Amino acid sequence: MTARLLLGLAAAGVLLFLLAPILAILPLSLSAGEILRLPPEGWSLRWYAALLSSERWLLAARNSLVVAGATTLLAGVLGTLAALGLHFGRLPGRGAILALLAAPVVTPSIVTAAALFLAYSAAGLAGTLFGLVLAHTVISVPFVVLAVLASLRGFDPALLRAAESLGAPPAAAFRRVVLPLIAPGVAAGAVFAFATSFDEFILTLFLAGPGQFTLPRQIYAAVRDVWDPTVCAAAVLLFLASMLLLLASEALRRRGGGIG
Amino acid sequence: MRRGGIAAFLLVLPLLLLLVLSFALPVGRMLWTAVADPELSDTLPDTAAVLRAWNGEGLPPEEAFAHLARELGAALADRRLGPLAQRLNFEQPGLRALLLRTARAAGELREAPRERLIALDPRWGEAELWRLLRSAAGPVTALYLLRAVDLRLGPAGGIEAVAEEEAIYRTLFLRTLWIAALVTALCVVLAYPVAAALAALPQRLAAWGLVLVLVPFWTSVLVRTTAWFVLLQREGPLNAAAIALGLIEHPLQLIGTRFAVVAAMVHVLLPFAILPAYAVMRRLDPALPRAAASLGAGAVARFFRVHLPLSFPGVAAGGAMVFLLAVGYYITPALVGGPRDQMVASFIAFFLSQTPNWGMAAALSLLLLAMTGAAALAARALLPGFGRRE
Amino acid sequence: MSAPVVHFRGVTKSYDGRSLAVAPLDLAVAEGEFLTLLGPSGSGKTTTLMMLAGFEAPSSGEILLEGRVVNRVPPHRRGLGVVFQNYALFPHMSVAENLSFPLEMRRIPRAERAERIARALATVRMEGFADRRPAQLSGGQQQRVALARALIFSPRLVLMDEPLGALDRQLREELQQEIKALHARLGVTILYVTHDQGEALALSDRIAVFRAGRIEQLGTPRELYDRPASAFVAGFLGENNLIPVEVLGAEGAFRRCRLPDGGTILVPGCRPPGPALLVLRPERILPGAEGPNRLSATVLGATFLGDQTRLSVALGPATLAVKLPHGAAGHGLARGERIALCFPPEAAALLPPEGGG
Repeated sequence: MTARLLLGLAAAGVLLFLLAPILAILPLSLSAGEILRLPPEGWSLRWYAALLSSERWLLAARNSLVVAGATTLLAGVLGTLAALGLHFGRLPGRGAILALLAAPVVTPSIVTAAALFLAYSAAGLAGTLFGLVLAHTVISVPFVVLAVLASLRGFDPALLRAAESLGAPPAAAFRRVVLPLIAPGVAAGAVFAFATSFDEFILTLFLAGPGQFTLPRQIYAAVRDVWDPTVCAAAVLLFLASMLLLLASEALRRRGGGIG
Repeated sequence: MRRGGIAAFLLVLPLLLLLVLSFALPVGRMLWTAVADPELSDTLPDTAAVLRAWNGEGLPPEEAFAHLARELGAALADRRLGPLAQRLNFEQPGLRALLLRTARAAGELREAPRERLIALDPRWGEAELWRLLRSAAGPVTALYLLRAVDLRLGPAGGIEAVAEEEAIYRTLFLRTLWIAALVTALCVVLAYPVAAALAALPQRLAAWGLVLVLVPFWTSVLVRTTAWFVLLQREGPLNAAAIALGLIEHPLQLIGTRFAVVAAMVHVLLPFAILPAYAVMRRLDPALPRAAASLGAGAVARFFRVHLPLSFPGVAAGGAMVFLLAVGYYITPALVGGPRDQMVASFIAFFLSQTPNWGMAAALSLLLLAMTGAAALAARALLPGFGRRE
Repeated sequence: MSAPVVHFRGVTKSYDGRSLAVAPLDLAVAEGEFLTLLGPSGSGKTTTLMMLAGFEAPSSGEILLEGRVVNRVPPHRRGLGVVFQNYALFPHMSVAENLSFPLEMRRIPRAERAERIARALATVRMEGFADRRPAQLSGGQQQRVALARALIFSPRLVLMDEPLGALDRQLREELQQEIKALHARLGVTILYVTHDQGEALALSDRIAVFRAGRIEQLGTPRELYDRPASAFVAGFLGENNLIPVEVLGAEGAFRRCRLPDGGTILVPGCRPPGPALLVLRPERILPGAEGPNRLSATVLGATFLGDQTRLSVALGPATLAVKLPHGAAGHGLARGERIALCFPPEAAALLPPEGGG
């Protein structure tokens, strides 16, 4: 019994270590003063006001949403199509395709960033929004493929046969039977792709144009270049946005989507 | 079946194109950049041709001097000299100035180029410089890869160590490996009790506990690193708490220390260790420890003989993932670390943007990729099934 | 007899180009018939059904539906009802939506759809379940919905692939009765695949016994049971004693045979003198010593099974199974006791010896 108690205490301690730093930002963001201490000298919403009236931050938020939205769309479509092909077709070199798909996930971001930086400079894609979306899609799309493949693994091929035996042509069978059943997987992959792009920093640092600040890049600049306490308010809002994505992902997982 | 195969291929094709064009080819091209040596033959094509034909003994033929003077002058006039000057200066500091001076004087070197070049700067009369130019005539060079491990091609042609004050990369790689290993070890040790405790809970409670792990996992890395940046300030909450508890009298400088880097990296990467360990432990048959107990195993024996071996694949998979991510880390050392805590990734970034030297950036990337690749292969060899997605 | 609804003409199927999953198959199914394809797993019966449904293409030969070659007709244009092994109900649709699906595919107007769904649910006694999801139904209920879905668009031919395989025994027998009643009421032609011989006997007008891609025997359940054409069929349908005997010669319409213990018996048949296989149902062996065929056996063991007692007896080197109905003489026998048994000549049959033609 003491062993279990010790285990529980150790786990609780580690969980505290995981959560406390993130939660500590919340009161700091509500501080009335410039100096960040706990508890704050006074409470105010001044940093939130500063954040919401700052064109820099608003532009960064807009850029992040545009890039993550476009990435999600592109990765969602390409990833879902590819997962369908990989699942239903007997492709030669399936293993090689899956390995190529996993490569961007295990390759250090800085290496991918360096490679794309050189390639985009030569191809004239450096500093373009399109190039940035392509790069984000490369690192997000594996999650879509994985999630859709996972939901297809639970798909009973007899259902397709049943649909056809009941008079459904292949296109109708796909639309009425396959698509609704893998929808949670597609959505889960899309949520993960959105979060990946929304969080992405290193590729953005090297591939985005000088004016194309996303939220992570703006936070980095605000922490590293000129300390700006507004960053705490931004971090809290970004944290809340991540929690929305987490909720969406968990809800989808309970509906049979999700990764793992 | 045939038609199905073609349709399936067409479905996969768009993604395949994206991955090849926007990942595989760029990475391949960058790896080539690590050994490519195009500057001299691009900027001084005739000189390069003569030097390639030269046997390397004594001084090159007269025409090499003539071509050099003419092509340097032309390159300067067209503002094309930069890449070559940078390339040669990287191999031997001081050559940029020599090239510029020679190029500016190109007009006066048309007659008797050999004598006048040597008169302009006696280094043009040294075989060593000409051999260096010959080795730079391409198409490939080991310069960057050697420099990435603190070696260089000596004037005599052999490989030798660089001067002590320039030898930074071995230290850098060792430091990167050390930080990654330390972070991995800490993550594994901290992850184990969390995973074990969650796996021991009933499914419903464990799902809630897991959310506590998923919250940091989904929170932006920048947000988490910013949190550490704030916590570790001299006037920040951590110092204040330590003083209030009487642990220290004066606030400590925490930002810019190795401690800050390791703490923040462990915080960021810990969920990657917890989640696979938990997944494996959850699937363990609870009857197995009971069976061990019925066979006379005490708590310690049950842990070391049953629980640990059975949960090892998950723990090791998590550890491998943490190591792979840690070894290429950039953000956290950049924000909370000092100059002595920077890892390989920071130097790649440095050579990409601050002092553009694509050859070095590529060479360091190649070595970093080799390190992660070796780690991934080792993990796969140690853990059958690692990398195979469920 | 009307033209066959289904006609297989020399149909073969090979997956690897060498071995045949279905050897040249010729089979005609008559209008309104309940024909069962019976055989162990891997005998080609399901492949045959899937070729008819259009999910597998024959390697050679022709499949005719109502006189028309359908080899190249895609499944959704064949208009067959199919009941799948694990029901294959669409999990994301309610019961009513599942039933509506084939009607929507046939562009049947909404009002008529609602009416037909209600009727179909009544037919399988599933009124009140229209809005349930398949996951909320028991196995038997799912099976009823699957039946209703395969019948709702009034196909003339329904294919059933081990439809009751996933159910427990009691439910299986209950649903057998329902399927039989539906067949009688609707007059629809049914092609049924099973590996359960009891199910085949209970349901079918005719049974085709499959073995290794070939039809071993085709006939009514009674023919197959009483006059098996091979040892395989004899052993596959019900329990049977297969005893090696020696045919000594003809005595009228009978053959005199020597049993393994040296005794002789009379059996109908036309085997030439020499070795043969005697087929004798355990329930046709009676206690007593009447008629020309008397056996003197030694009891090896007895198992009480409620409605009957199963004896295992030794007849020389051979072992025989004997089923005695409850209340018959011969109960309470101990191991090693002698018992007198007999059987009427017409209860037995002769087959070629094992390994021989």
